Amino acid sequence: MPKKLKEVLVEAGIPMDFESGGHSPSNLTAREVNREPHARVKKLKDIFMQTLSSANNEFPYWYTREYMLHDTEIPVVRRAMALKEAFAHSTPVIYPGELLTMRKAAFFRGSFPMPWLSEGYYMAKEDELYQDALKRGSASADEHSKFGTGGGNVTKSFGKVVSLAGKFGIRQEEVPGLLKLAKIWVGKSVDDLGHKYEQMVPDYAVKEALMRNVICMFDSGYTLPQGREVINYYYPLEYGIDGLIAMATELKAKVAGRADGDGIKGTNRLFNYEAVILSLEGLKIWISNYAKEARRLEGLEKDAVQKREYAAIGERLEWLSANKARDFRDAIQMILTIHLAVVNEDAISGMSPGRIAQVLFPYFEQDIAVGRISEDEVMELLEQYRLAISSIDCFASAGVVGGVLSGNTFNTVSIGGLTKEGKHAANRLEYLLIESGISNQMPQPTLALMYDEKLPEDFLLLGMECIKTGAGYPAFMNNQSAMTFMMNQYGAEGMTPEEARAWAIGGCLESSPCVWKPLHLNGKEYWIPGGAGQPTSVGVHFLAMPKILECVLWNGLDGRTGEKVFEPHNLKLETYDELWAQFKKYWQKAVDILALTNNIQHDIWRKNNMAVINSFLKPDCLDNGHLIDEKGYRFNATFNVESAGTITAVNSLAAIKKLVYTDKSVTLDELKKAVRDNFGFKTAKEVNSFSLSDQEKREDGPSGWDKLHFMCLQAPKYGNDEKFADEILLDWENFFCPDCRNYESLYAHTMYPCQISVSTHGAMGSATIATTDGRLAGTTFADASLSAFPGTDRNGVYALLNSAAIWDHTMSQNSQLNIKIHPTAIQGPSGSRKLLDLIQAYMRKGGFHIQFNVVDTKVLKDAQANPQNYRDLMVRVAGFTQYWVEIGKPVQDELIARTEYEGI
Amino acid sequence: MTTKLNHRDCRNFAPIDVTKGICHRTKDLVLADNEQCEEFSLLPKCNNCKQFAATADAIEMGICKVSAHEPKFYAYPDMVAVTCDKYTAN
Repeated sequence: MPKKLKEVLVEAGIPMDFESGGHSPSNLTAREVNREPHARVKKLKDIFMQTLSSANNEFPYWYTREYMLHDTEIPVVRRAMALKEAFAHSTPVIYPGELLTMRKAAFFRGSFPMPWLSEGYYMAKEDELYQDALKRGSASADEHSKFGTGGGNVTKSFGKVVSLAGKFGIRQEEVPGLLKLAKIWVGKSVDDLGHKYEQMVPDYAVKEALMRNVICMFDSGYTLPQGREVINYYYPLEYGIDGLIAMATELKAKVAGRADGDGIKGTNRLFNYEAVILSLEGLKIWISNYAKEARRLEGLEKDAVQKREYAAIGERLEWLSANKARDFRDAIQMILTIHLAVVNEDAISGMSPGRIAQVLFPYFEQDIAVGRISEDEVMELLEQYRLAISSIDCFASAGVVGGVLSGNTFNTVSIGGLTKEGKHAANRLEYLLIESGISNQMPQPTLALMYDEKLPEDFLLLGMECIKTGAGYPAFMNNQSAMTFMMNQYGAEGMTPEEARAWAIGGCLESSPCVWKPLHLNGKEYWIPGGAGQPTSVGVHFLAMPKILECVLWNGLDGRTGEKVFEPHNLKLETYDELWAQFKKYWQKAVDILALTNNIQHDIWRKNNMAVINSFLKPDCLDNGHLIDEKGYRFNATFNVESAGTITAVNSLAAIKKLVYTDKSVTLDELKKAVRDNFGFKTAKEVNSFSLSDQEKREDGPSGWDKLHFMCLQAPKYGNDEKFADEILLDWENFFCPDCRNYESLYAHTMYPCQISVSTHGAMGSATIATTDGRLAGTTFADASLSAFPGTDRNGVYALLNSAAIWDHTMSQNSQLNIKIHPTAIQGPSGSRKLLDLIQAYMRKGGFHIQFNVVDTKVLKDAQANPQNYRDLMVRVAGFTQYWVEIGKPVQDELIARTEYEGI
Repeated sequence: MTTKLNHRDCRNFAPIDVTKGICHRTKDLVLADNEQCEEFSLLPKCNNCKQFAATADAIEMGICKVSAHEPKFYAYPDMVAVTCDKYTAN
C-alpha cells in the first residue's frame, strides 16, 4: 500500500494534526441545538428534500418567440416585450399546504436556461443531448432514488430525464425544443457577441490562456451578469403594480421627445419607461395567473381548511397583481414575488433580499398591534419563506454552478446594523428571523449579522444559539468597517454617512450600497433600506494567486500545462524582491486584460440584455428614466477584482523567502524541481482525494524529496501570529487593494478588491501543481481569503485572528475567515459566551468577517462514506451554507481537512 | 411521440420535479410517468391543440399555426399550454 502523507509525516515525527486546542471525543458528536419547523413547513420541506433540480423550456421559448418577432424594435423595448411574454406564459403551480406561493418555473426547484446569454454549452453537447433524449427508458422509483447521494442534483441522465450541466434534470421530450432554441441564438447571444468583440483587445491571447489554464475562473458577462447585490422592494410595496404602471406612464408622457439637456441619453427615457411598463404588465399577468390557479384549486378542493387557504391565496394575489401590500402576509408574498421576478429576468447568483426585517417591520408592527397576526404565525411564514428562497436554483454552466457556486445562490438576508438615525436596528422581527433560521435550518437565506457595538447582547447571544445548530449562519460582518468602505468607494457618487448605514450584504459577503426610502402604511412613515447599487458580481473574477506565482517561477508558463500565459520575464529571480516585483507585474497584466475583455462582455449585455425589472426597482431609475445600462442606479462603482488562493500564495511566498533567500537551504531551481516532481507524490486526481493529508507517495516515481518537503511544510505559515508569513500577507494587501484603483469599469469607475473564494479553492486547486508551501498537486487551496491552510494554524484561534487582522480590512469590500469548531468546544451558555467573546475580539481588531462550522469532523467523514444517511446535513463552505450531499468531492475533502478547534 | 397518457398529462398533477408531482385530487405523491387514474383531466399542451402542426422531418417538433412569424414559429407537443390564450382543444 502506498503511504499517505500523514503517515509519512508521523514517521518523521511531524504529526499532521488537524485538531487544535485539545482532542475531540471519540464518539460522533451531534450539534447542540436542533429544532423543527411548524408541521406545515416540515411537510413541504420533506418534499424539498426529495426534489430534483428541474428545468424546462417554457420561459426561454416564449421569450425567444417574442424577441425574434421584433428585430427592428428599440433594444430595451424589445427585451421588455420578450420578458412580458415569458412571464405571461409561465405556468402557475401551487402545492397543498403553501401559505406563500409563486416560483421560478413550474417545479418545486425549477429553473430554465437563458440561451440569449450563452448557448454554447447546448451546441457543444448537441449530439450527446440528442442521444440521451432518444433513449426510451422509464423513470422508475428505483432510478429516482439513485439521486439520494447527490441531493437535488441530477448528476447523470436516467430514464426520461436528461442531465444538464451535471445539475439540472430536463425531460427528454423537451430536449429537441431546447436545442432548437440554442440554435436560434447562435451568433446573437451575449457570449457569442462578446467573444467576437473581446478578441479585438490587444494581447487577447493572454486572456484566453488565463481562462484555459484556470488561472481565472469565469467570465461574468454571459454567465452571471448580475448578482452579489441587494434587491430593493420599496417601489412595489409603496405603490403597488398598478401604481408603478401609472407612475411610469405619467413620466413617459413627460419626457417623450425631450432631451432635457442630455443630447445623448435624454430621449432614451421614453423607451426606458415604455420598457418598464411592458415588464410590469408581464408581472401583473404572471401574478394574476397564479391567482386564477389558486381559485381553480379552491373550486376543486374538498378539504375545508385547504379550500380556505387556496381562497386566501387567490384573494391575496388578485389584490397584489394591482395594489400595494395591506398587511404582513401581503408584504412577505410581495417581496417573494418580486424576488422571483428579478431572478427570472437574468441569470443571477447572489440577489440578496437584504434587510428584510427592516423592510417588513411596518407591517409586522401594525398587524401585531391590532392582533391581525400572531408571532407564531409570523414564524410559520418566515420558515416557509426560507423554504421558498432555498428552492431558487440558478441556471448557469456546469463550471459556474459546480466549480464556483456549489449549487448555491447566495440570497443572503442581513440582520443587525444600524437604523437611518444611527440606533441599533435589531427589532423584534430580526429576532424572529434568527429563530426561524434555527427552527427551519436550510441553506437559504443565509444570515449575515452586521455586527455593531450598539447591538443588544441578547440579540448577539441568539446569534450564537443559531450558530450552534451547525447551519453556518449567521456570519458576522463588521458594520463600522463596511461603512468606512462604503464611504471610500461610493462617496464620489454622493453617498452620505446616513446612507452608508443602509448597506447590506449582497451575495455571500459582498458589502453592497443601499439607501433609505420612506414607506407609508396607514398614515405612518417608516424609513426602510434597500439596494441602490449595480451588481458586485462583475469585474475580474477569481484570479488565482498561486497560479500567478506558478507563472513567475516558470518564466511565464503555466506549470501544469506548460502553455505560455505571459511573455517570459527572463529574470534569474536572485532576490525575493525581484520575485515579488515580477509577481506583481504578472498580476497587473492579468487584471488589466481581464478587465478590458470583461468590460466588452458587459457592454454587449447592457446593450442587448439590460436589466429592466431589477432596474426599475433600484433607486433612482424610476425618477431619472435611465436603467442600469445608462447608470440610472444611485451607485455604479461596483465592478471589482476578485482574488483566490490568497493564503496558499502567501504561504508559498513565505517558504521561498525563508528557504531560498533567507536561510539559503535550497536553491530556487532545486525547489522548483521538487515541486515539478510533486515531492514524489501522486496527484490528487490519481488518489481521488483533494485533501493534502490523504495524498499518497508514488512508489515508482522520483524519490529523495522528503526532507525538502518537510522543510516546505514546516516553513513559516500564516495564521500563527508570526511576522514572517503574516507580513507577506500585509505586503500583498497593501499592494492589491490600491492597485485595483488602476482599472476602470465600462461605467468609468475604478475598481476595488473583493476577497472571497466561494468554491473556487477546490476547482482552481485541482488545476494547480504542487506549491512551495508543501501543498501537493491538485489539492485544494486554503479556503476563503483569510482561513489558515488546514493544520497549519498551531498557535490557537486568537493567534489566527491576530494574523488575519494584520491589514486594514476597510480597504477591501470584504475579507473572509472560516473557522471549524467541534460542538463540545462551545457547549452550553458559557460556550456561547466564549464564542461571542471570540467574535467581538476579532471585530474590535478590525476583522471584517468571521463564520463558523460547528461540526464534528468524524460526522463529515461518515457523511462522505454514507451520504444516504445525511441528506439534511448542512455545512458552511465559504460565504454560504450548503447541503453536504450537494457539494463536490474536492470541497468536501477540504471541509474535512480544515483545522478543528476543540477549545477556544 | 408518446400516446399513452400519464399523470404528467393531467391537469390535477402539480409537478414537483421532472419525475414526480402531487395529485391535487388525492394529495398523494405520484410518479410523472405512471399511467393516468380515473380522476384524470387532460392538461392543455400543444399536442392537444388544434393550432399545433407536427413536422415530419424533426423528432417531437412542430409549428404553432397562430404564431405571428413567417415562417411560423416552432412548437413542440409536450409544452404546457395552460397560459396560452391561443390554445384550442382538439
